[in-house]
Amino acid sequence: MVNGIDRRNFLIGTSAALGTLSLGAPAALGQAKLRVIVIGGGPGGATAAKYIARDSKGALDVVLVEPARQFTTCFHSNLYLGGFKSFESITHRYDKLAPYGVSLNHQMAHAIDRDKKTVRLADGTSLPYDRLVVAPGIDLKYDSVPGWGKEHEEKMPHAWKAGPQTRLLKAQLDAVPDGGLIVMIAPPNPFRCPPGPYERVSMMAHALKNTGRADCRIVIIDPKKKFSKQGLFQEGWEQHYPGMVEWLDPSIHEGVKSVDPATNSVVTGFETYSNCALVNVIPAQMAGKIARDAGLADQSGFCPVKAESMQSEMDPNIYVIGDSSIADAMPKSGFAANSQAKVAAMMIRGELTGARTFPARYANTCWSLIDTDNTVKVGARYAVKDHKIAPLETFISQNGESTDLRRQNQEENLGWYTGITADIFS
Amino acid sequence: MAPRSIRKQRCAIAISVAFVLTCSVSAAQAEGDIALGEYLASECVTCHQITGRTSGGIPAIIGWPEDLFVSVMQAYRNKERDNKVMQAITSTLSDADIHALAAYYGSLKEQPPQ
Repeated sequence: MVNGIDRRNFLIGTSAALGTLSLGAPAALGQAKLRVIVIGGGPGGATAAKYIARDSKGALDVVLVEPARQFTTCFHSNLYLGGFKSFESITHRYDKLAPYGVSLNHQMAHAIDRDKKTVRLADGTSLPYDRLVVAPGIDLKYDSVPGWGKEHEEKMPHAWKAGPQTRLLKAQLDAVPDGGLIVMIAPPNPFRCPPGPYERVSMMAHALKNTGRADCRIVIIDPKKKFSKQGLFQEGWEQHYPGMVEWLDPSIHEGVKSVDPATNSVVTGFETYSNCALVNVIPAQMAGKIARDAGLADQSGFCPVKAESMQSEMDPNIYVIGDSSIADAMPKSGFAANSQAKVAAMMIRGELTGARTFPARYANTCWSLIDTDNTVKVGARYAVKDHKIAPLETFISQNGESTDLRRQNQEENLGWYTGITADIFS
Repeated sequence: MAPRSIRKQRCAIAISVAFVLTCSVSAAQAEGDIALGEYLASECVTCHQITGRTSGGIPAIIGWPEDLFVSVMQAYRNKERDNKVMQAITSTLSDADIHALAAYYGSLKEQPPQ
């Protein structure tokens, strides 16, 4: 029959495929079940792996390829910076995914061979797949800020991927003397977590004020003319941190000309900030390398997908979710990645097992803490319109809201964190 | 107890459990499509834990009487209840969607709303 394959396994594989509506042969001969590989264990990838495994009830082989044993969430890492949360409380292990049927493979995925439908792992082995979910998150453009690079990320941290960088930024913040100058270089669009830099500034100011360092100054050098929840943040900064926060748009600072990690200096067209106590460089961003190397990204550096399914525009066997994808009106957020993962999981099960599918629905909400019990939010319900993910109903907090409402927002924010991390990791 | 009567009793329990399950599933399906409800509910569990545990300002929503669930969701959709997130989430739910969600959440282990 077919060259040298084990007959029994072939039959098992065949019957599994037939039992799943004959929608495809297993990725490798001798493999009993159709296989889905998920690259990346963030809010997108881990959710997709869990939902595909759980809802296919053993019919599919689901492998999550993620080198780390635990994941620190970017969302709420600012609350760690502000002293509202411990580092441990924003760090989650993957152990609880195994009982759903997720096989954890703790290696780096090095490359995707789209023709052979395989993923090459760090140990040199190649894993075949029937469908692939690519969720590597963002890569930083280390060359986007003159004078700064990967070799300087210890001196001038980005902390835009949660983990050791987050702790480093906190340590540097803790060491800022009263009266010290902090400069944040904010990223251009599109980037992970649009309100994130401004919540971070709020949390930095909170930590400083709370520890008798209210004479510190935080200057934001922003390449954007406006930013998410701008009016709300600026109102909050005036209210809670008068004189501490200064936001400069490009018409004022005229661009970052260079940074010097040796002297912790930042030179703009407008002013030179020398001997800063802390410089937080959040550079421009792009889709994770593995997605770009596989030709899944377009010239924007991110990956176009079909709004109806999150299926790659470049390859029907691949789904790209989370920050690497171009999800039209949806922001790059953990909430959005989790939402997209559920659509992709459903569509993949539909393709491989004949499970019922329903029209894609997406949602997002981003809560931002400005000061104790003062949280604002922005969000939307999205649906597919003219092959794009379009917002159907949007909301945003308003200036001058009651303290009760802002406190309720924070309670919601904390409850959401517990809910989404339970949804992803347990 | 003799093994035979144990078997008999177990059989009776199994039949009655099966009967109850059949009835409850049929009743739920009469009201709403549970499979649709399960898919729609995957959005809810981003905040509302599927275990029914509560945290912060997010209430548990499992095991509610279906008519209560439907009326609360419709009130959010009609913007009579005041929470922007819930108003947005419910804005595109049809009555059939809401009934499906009510059937699905009603089918989960009962726990009184908190």
